[in-house]
Amino acid sequence: MNLERLPNEEKLTLCRKYYFGGFAFLPFLWLVNVVWFFKEAFVKPTYTEQLQIKTYVKCSGLGFLLWVAVLTTWITIFQHFRAEWGEVGDYLSFTIPLGIP
Amino acid sequence: MCSNMVRCLGDGNTSLQKLATSIVFFFCLSDVSCNSVEQKIYVELNNTVPCVRLLNATHQIGCQSSISGDTGVIHVLESEEDLEWPLSKGPNPPYMVLLESSLFTRSIMMKMKNESNRVAGVAVVVPNTSPPEFSPHTTCPNENTGVYSDNYGPNLAHCNTTVWNPRGNGLSYEEFDFPVFSLKEDNETEFIKQCYLDHNRAVNGSAPQYPLCAMQLFSHMHAVTNTPTCMRRNDINFSINPEMVCDPLGDYNVWGSIRPYNDTVFGHKENESVVIAAARLDSRAFFWEVSTGAEGSVSGFVTLLAAAQALREVTHEAPPTRNILFAFFQGETFDYIGSSRMVYDMENGKFVIDLDNIHSVLEIGQVRTCVKNLVNNLQSSTAGLGFLLVEPNVSQPLPPSSLQRFLRAQPIPGIVLADHESAFNNRYYESFYDNAANLNLTYPSDLSPEEQLEFVTHTAESLTDVATVVARALYKQAGGDESRVNTIKADPKIVTQMLYGFLVSSNNSWFQAVMAPELKNILSDPPEYYVGVAMSSTPTRLVQYLLANLTGAATNLTQSQCQKPDELPNESRQMYSYLWVQGIVPPNSTERDSFCVRASVRLTKAVSPAFELGEYASKDYSTWTESRWKFIKARIFLVASRDLEVKLQSSSRIHICLINYSCVA
Repeated sequence: MNLERLPNEEKLTLCRKYYFGGFAFLPFLWLVNVVWFFKEAFVKPTYTEQLQIKTYVKCSGLGFLLWVAVLTTWITIFQHFRAEWGEVGDYLSFTIPLGIP
Repeated sequence: MCSNMVRCLGDGNTSLQKLATSIVFFFCLSDVSCNSVEQKIYVELNNTVPCVRLLNATHQIGCQSSISGDTGVIHVLESEEDLEWPLSKGPNPPYMVLLESSLFTRSIMMKMKNESNRVAGVAVVVPNTSPPEFSPHTTCPNENTGVYSDNYGPNLAHCNTTVWNPRGNGLSYEEFDFPVFSLKEDNETEFIKQCYLDHNRAVNGSAPQYPLCAMQLFSHMHAVTNTPTCMRRNDINFSINPEMVCDPLGDYNVWGSIRPYNDTVFGHKENESVVIAAARLDSRAFFWEVSTGAEGSVSGFVTLLAAAQALREVTHEAPPTRNILFAFFQGETFDYIGSSRMVYDMENGKFVIDLDNIHSVLEIGQVRTCVKNLVNNLQSSTAGLGFLLVEPNVSQPLPPSSLQRFLRAQPIPGIVLADHESAFNNRYYESFYDNAANLNLTYPSDLSPEEQLEFVTHTAESLTDVATVVARALYKQAGGDESRVNTIKADPKIVTQMLYGFLVSSNNSWFQAVMAPELKNILSDPPEYYVGVAMSSTPTRLVQYLLANLTGAATNLTQSQCQKPDELPNESRQMYSYLWVQGIVPPNSTERDSFCVRASVRLTKAVSPAFELGEYASKDYSTWTESRWKFIKARIFLVASRDLEVKLQSSSRIHICLINYSCVA
């Protein structure tokens, strides 16, 4: 969708929708928000709605980074310790590799 | 690949392009001619036997390969010092070490286990003649599940007094993380050795040049760690692709009795006193499923079958006071699976008798020759054995035997008949060399298979004497008529036929006559005595039908009556089992004379109580399981050096068109 053709209010509504949508455990919506609206928020010359769009983009970026940190930590811990956790590790897994602990 | 070829044909004429596309598409779909390239590269090895992974409550044993097979440069080991080449000096690790059987020792295998990043796998060449001695089992078989423990006879436990299997090197119970396969001494092995001599030998001290002869072994096992882990992974429901990873070892026990029992009435029977005669059916080896167990188990159960046959006539004419129950236990090698299950069933009222009904137990262990000492002892024995000893003079523990599981539950008088005073005489205990040659079972060379079946060997005569003694002792123990004891004689012809069938070839006329028609295809060269997981082992079926034939009676029932005997007034499926057997082929016809045998012979499940109770970490019962796997194969090929593989990939795109043309042509 080409943002050039949209009026500024609709851009703001779209940005807001993606921002609030990301709270439903959907961090990729925040990533999309950041990437898509980056130019609108920081590169384009100022217009009225740009301040709000800037806030939304910054908060989306922060939220996404937080998710990345949490998921990376959990994935590292799980991959490293799954074999040692025995029963708990097996019950948390969707696929268990064959033939290796 | 196919699109490259189209581009190769040029961007010119579009109609020619379309025609070419359709031709290429057609040929690429049916690439039958392209498969011959695979056959030119790889030579499949067909007569190999892998070593598989077994697990128990705390450990895993056996061998594992990686999921896409382990490849290594072949090295034929000449001596133990030559191990330096694959382990440290050789320039092309990992190596696939080919061992002669004389080098298949504990020290060599443990050295390779410690350097397993340079060893891709091991292939052992099994010769036709046996080495002087070899036993991969442990020195103290079944030490944790017998009757002696730290609480009961601690000085006799863990082989503190007598080491039963001193030749044991424990290889079967080690864990290897590379595959170990066995090869026969035949043309395939000669081909492998020739490939090694042609490509892999170092010439004048310089390193051998690529391409080198390599072997790839696939034996990826699914189960890991121990039995509780693998049984838990079997049961997980919400995984994306639920897979069974292991199965408990087990099969069926065979039991029969002189007087039949009602198969639906379980538990204690008032005023019923039973003498149990027991033997074990199974054995094992280092490699999967090849196990012949000639002295270890076959000699014992063949003697018991002969004794059962010897008692048939006298017990019909002058029945003894007590009943005699013949029990053949399966799975005894792996911590007494069969006998622990039968004792468990008796304790919990799931068997036709109870532990209190047992008067005494006589077990036949490893018997090879005439057991002179015990022969005299038993012949003068009176009813009422109040002691549990193997030798009357020396205070000594019982050898590993099913009797130990009965004693673990309740003190019962018992005897174990064996041909060894302390340590085993068997030089190949639980190994693939415990075969007919170990029992000195030799036939004159000019006999046909049918004549060999009938020929009474020296071994058969010795075992017949043992069977006669056992039968007389059982009859006296059961309170039979003393005057008739000396008329009991085992038949050497039956013993020699059984020895031939169980140790040389089970596809003979007598076994065919005794078996059911639907089972006739399971008879082949000597049966395998490994207990397995499929609950359909050949020795169990053979012993079931033989016991029925030797102790039961032939009836006049037709085949449909044999399947539904309850409709007839005098027959009852609860008291007897009715088996439709093939019978012999009369001289002038091609049809078999099939008939219905009525015998009091039953099968009971021989799966460890640990799996019934769900106690997979049990210390009291056997917890042995066998891992599952997808496929097992071995192949050899010439392997190029690593850097050549990378160069080849980048230049392959240019040459693809030419290769395609030659492939299609």
